[in-house]
Amino acid sequence: MMRDKITRFLSVSVAGLTILCAAVFIFLAHYMNRTSAQTIHDVGTIYMTGMNERISMHFHTTIEQRLSQVENLLEFYGEDTEDKGAVNDRLAYGAKARGFESLAFCSDDGQFKMLYGKAIKITDPEPFMRSLGAQEKKVAVGTDADGKNMVYLGIPAGYVMSDGEMSRALVAGLPVDYISEMLALDKSNTLVYSHIIRKDGSFVIRSGEAFRQSYFQRIKAIVEEAGGSNGDMYVEELSAAMAADQDYSQVLAIGGERRHLYCAKLPYSEWYLVTIMPYDTLNDTVGRLNRQWGVMVFVSCGIVLLSLLAVFVRYFKMTRMQLKEVEQARHEAVEANKAKSEFLSNMSHDIRTPMNAIVGMTAIAIANADNQAQVHNCLRKIAMSSKHLLGLINDVLDMSKIESGKMTLNMDQVSLREAMDGIVSIVQPQVKAKSQSFDVRIHDISAENVCCDSVRLNQILLNLLSNAIKFTPEKGSISLSLWQEPSPRGSDYTRCHIEVADNGIGMAPDFKDKIFESFVREDRTRVHKTEGTGLGLAITKYIVDAMEGTIEVESQQGHGSRFCVILDLEEAVIQEVDMVLPSWSMLVVDDDHMLCQNAVSILKSIGVEAEWTMDGETALERIEERHNKNQDYQIVLIDWKLPGIDGIETARRITKRLKKDIPIILISAYDWNDIEEEARAAGISGFISKPLFKSTLFYSLREYMGMAKRDGEEKSDKELNGRKILVAEDNELNWEIASELLSELGLDLDWAENGQICVDKFESSAPGYYDAVLMDLRMPVMTGYEAAVAIRKMDRPDADIPIIAMTADAFAEDIKRCLEHGMNAHMAKPIDVAETARMLRKFIR
Amino acid sequence: MSLVDCYKSLEGDYEDVVGRLRSERLVQKFVLKFLNDGSYDLLCSSLEAEDYKEAFRASHTIKGVCQNLSFTKLYHSSHELTEALRGGWSPEAAPLVERVKKDYEQTVAAIRELQAEVGG
Repeated sequence: MMRDKITRFLSVSVAGLTILCAAVFIFLAHYMNRTSAQTIHDVGTIYMTGMNERISMHFHTTIEQRLSQVENLLEFYGEDTEDKGAVNDRLAYGAKARGFESLAFCSDDGQFKMLYGKAIKITDPEPFMRSLGAQEKKVAVGTDADGKNMVYLGIPAGYVMSDGEMSRALVAGLPVDYISEMLALDKSNTLVYSHIIRKDGSFVIRSGEAFRQSYFQRIKAIVEEAGGSNGDMYVEELSAAMAADQDYSQVLAIGGERRHLYCAKLPYSEWYLVTIMPYDTLNDTVGRLNRQWGVMVFVSCGIVLLSLLAVFVRYFKMTRMQLKEVEQARHEAVEANKAKSEFLSNMSHDIRTPMNAIVGMTAIAIANADNQAQVHNCLRKIAMSSKHLLGLINDVLDMSKIESGKMTLNMDQVSLREAMDGIVSIVQPQVKAKSQSFDVRIHDISAENVCCDSVRLNQILLNLLSNAIKFTPEKGSISLSLWQEPSPRGSDYTRCHIEVADNGIGMAPDFKDKIFESFVREDRTRVHKTEGTGLGLAITKYIVDAMEGTIEVESQQGHGSRFCVILDLEEAVIQEVDMVLPSWSMLVVDDDHMLCQNAVSILKSIGVEAEWTMDGETALERIEERHNKNQDYQIVLIDWKLPGIDGIETARRITKRLKKDIPIILISAYDWNDIEEEARAAGISGFISKPLFKSTLFYSLREYMGMAKRDGEEKSDKELNGRKILVAEDNELNWEIASELLSELGLDLDWAENGQICVDKFESSAPGYYDAVLMDLRMPVMTGYEAAVAIRKMDRPDADIPIIAMTADAFAEDIKRCLEHGMNAHMAKPIDVAETARMLRKFIR
Repeated sequence: MSLVDCYKSLEGDYEDVVGRLRSERLVQKFVLKFLNDGSYDLLCSSLEAEDYKEAFRASHTIKGVCQNLSFTKLYHSSHELTEALRGGWSPEAAPLVERVKKDYEQTVAAIRELQAEVGG
C-alpha cells in the first residue's frame, strides 16, 4: 500500500516537474526570441542612424569642401580686373586644377556662360536659381551636352560676364560618379547601400540595381513583387516625414526579407539620403545566435530533466529498499515475537510440570505425614522437581541478563583439571541413570591452568553434556574430549578444543542452522517429552562469543550430534609445582589408543617409565613376562571398561597370579563409589578419575604410592595457631561470638568497632603484624567497603593483606561488590568455624 | 525454663546454634547478652527520627545477630525488614516493623524467662 502510494507520488512529481521544466524553458526561449528581435530592431535603428549621419556628414563635408574650393577660385583668381579674358582663364585654370569638369557663370535668367567644359543643363533649375538668388550656396544635378549626369555646385558671384551682363553665380560641375564614389554609395561590398532622392521620390543618385525613375515606385514595385500590399503606406509615411523635415526609420517587410530603411535630409540641397540595410545578414547572425540559444536551452532543459529523473530513480530505489528493510524488520519482529510466545507457552508447560509434581507430592506427603518412607519419597521427588524448576528459572534469568547485555565474564585462573573433574562428577549420575556409556578423552594438554571464567566454562560444558545426555537414548554413548594446540593469538595463549559428541537422535539440517537462537527447540514429538527451556545453547553460544571463541555443530538426524567449541585462552602464569616422580616402572591398560599414548607421554615427562597396552589379555601376558624376568611393574593403571576381560577381572587375575601386592589403580570416567566395593575385593588399591591430566596423574600416583597427601591437605591447623586477625564488627554480641568461636582455632583476635577504627588500627600496626582482616560490611562511621578500599590504598608492604568480608547479605551482587572493593573473599553469616578456617588457610600467606 | 525451651519459645533453631557454638554454656552466655544488645533500640530510635539509612543498618545488625544465635523467627522478620529498608523507606516496611517488634518482644520475653531461671 505504502509502496503504491510512494510510487504514485513519485511518478506524479516526475511528470509535474518535467512539464514545469519544459514550460519554463519554452517560455524562456520564446521570451528571448522576442527580446532579441526587438534588440535587433533597436540595434538596426542605432546603426542606421549612425550610418546615415556618417554618410550625410561625409556628403556635407565633401560638398562644403568643393563649395569652398569654388569660393577660393573666386578669391584667388577672380580679382575683378578689366581684362575679363584673363580672369576667366585664371578661373578655368584653377578649376581644372581642382578637378572640376566644367565651370560657368550663370546669369539671372538661368543662362550659363561656359568658361570651359561642356554645356550645362540643370535638371530642376527652379529651386537652384531661387537659392542662388537668395545668395545661398546650392548643389544640383544636371546633364552636360553629352547627357552625362553631373553635379553642379553653385556659389553666388556677381561678375560682369563677357556680354557685359552681371552674373548671379559661378557654377562648377563634377561627375555624379565622383559623388557616388566619394560617398561609397556604390560599393557592392558593403551591406548597406544608399540612394539620394528628391522630395517627390525621383532619384538624384541611384546605386545598385535601382533602375526606376522614382524611389517611391521602386518601393511599391518591390513590395508588390514580393506579394505585399502596404507599399503605399510606406511611401506615404516617407513623404510625410520628408514634408515635416523629419528623419524616417522603418523596417520594411518585403516578403520573407526585411530591410531597414533610413531617410534623412542632406544639406545644401533639396535631396534626401535613403540608406537601406537588408536584415538578412544581421538576421542570419542573430538567427544563428537564436538557434544556438534554443539548442542550448533544450540541451540544458534535457540535462536538468535527466538529472531530476536520475535523482527520482535513485530516491525511488532507496525508498523501495527502505521499505523492504522495514518489511524485513517487521517480519523479524513478528518472528521473534512468535518465538517468544511459543517459548512462553512451552515454558509455562515446562514450569507447570515440575510445579505440579511439587504441589502433588506435597499433598501426598501431608496426607501421609505418619508414613516416614512415603514422606521421604515425596520429599525426594519434590527436591528433584525443585532442582529442575530452579534450573529452568536460572536459564531464563541468564538469558534475560544476556539479552539486556549485563552478562560479564569474571576472568580468573582456572584449572582445566578441576573443571573437567567437576563436570565429570556432575554428569556421572545422569549418565548412570540412562545407562549411557561415557568417555572423557584429553590429549596434548600444554597448559592445565588458563585464564577463563570458570563458572561460565562449566556452564558451556554442562549445557553441551546435559543436551547430549538428554537427546541420547538409553545405552547410547557420549564422549567429551579436550585437547590443546598453539593459538594464533600468540605464545601466551593456547587454543582449547572442547568436543562433545553423542550418538543420539541428532537434528534435522534446517533446525541445525537456528539451534543457537533463543527460545528455539526442535518441534518434534519426541523432543516434547524432553524438558528444557531451549535456552541452553543460546546461552552457550553467547558465552562462547563473549570469550571470543567459536562453536560449531555437526549433526545427522538419527545418528547423533557433535559440538565443537574452540576457545583461545590465556595461559595462567602460576608457578607450577615441579612435577617429578621416581622412575617407577608402570603399565597403562586402556582400549583408547589416544589415551594410552597421552598418558605414557605425560608419565615419561614426570620421570615414570611407562608402557601401555590396549586390552586385559595382553596386559596379563606382559605382566607375566616381566614377572619371569623378575622385573615386575611397580604400578598398573587399568581402565574399568575393556574389551574382553574388564579392568576389575584383569586386576583380580593379576593379584592372583603375582601373589604379591603391587598397586593396581583403576582409571575411569564413572563414579568410583559404584564400583569401589567390587574393585577393592579384586585387589585394586585406588582410583583415578578420567581425564588424566598431568597433575591428576602426578598427585594421584604420589598419594597412592604413599609419598604425600594431596595438595591442600598438607596444610594443617597449626598454620592458624597464633595468627593475628583484625576483626571489624560493630555489634558487640557478634564480636563476642566471633571471638569465642575463632579463638578455638588458636587465632589471636583484635576488635575494631567500626571501619574507621579498623583502618586506624591497621595503619598504626607494624607491617606484617596482622595476618588477615575479617570485615563486617554494614558499620557506622565507615563501612567495610570503604575500609577495605582505604587499606588497599595504603603505602605499606602489607596493604594487600587478606580481607574477608563477613556479612548477613549473601546475594551474588554483594559478593561481587566485595571483590570490587578489593576484598579477597566473602563469607555469609552466621560465623562458621570450619568455613572461616578454610578461608583463612586459603588466603593467609 | 531451660535453654532448649527458651529456643522453642522464641522459635529459634537450638540444634543449629549448639552445632555451631559447640557448647550449651556459650550459647546461654550469648543468648543472655542479647538483652543488652543496643541494635533494637537503635532501630526504634532511628525509625522515629526517620533516619532510614541508620534503621537499615540497625535491622541489618539484628539480622546478623539472629543468624549467629539462630533466632530463626526474628531472623526472618528482620531480614525482610532489612530488604524493605535497603533502598530507604518503602511502604512494605511499616507492617514489617510491627512484625519485627512483635518477634523481638517474643524473643526478649523468652530470654527474660530464661534469665529468671538461671538467675543471671
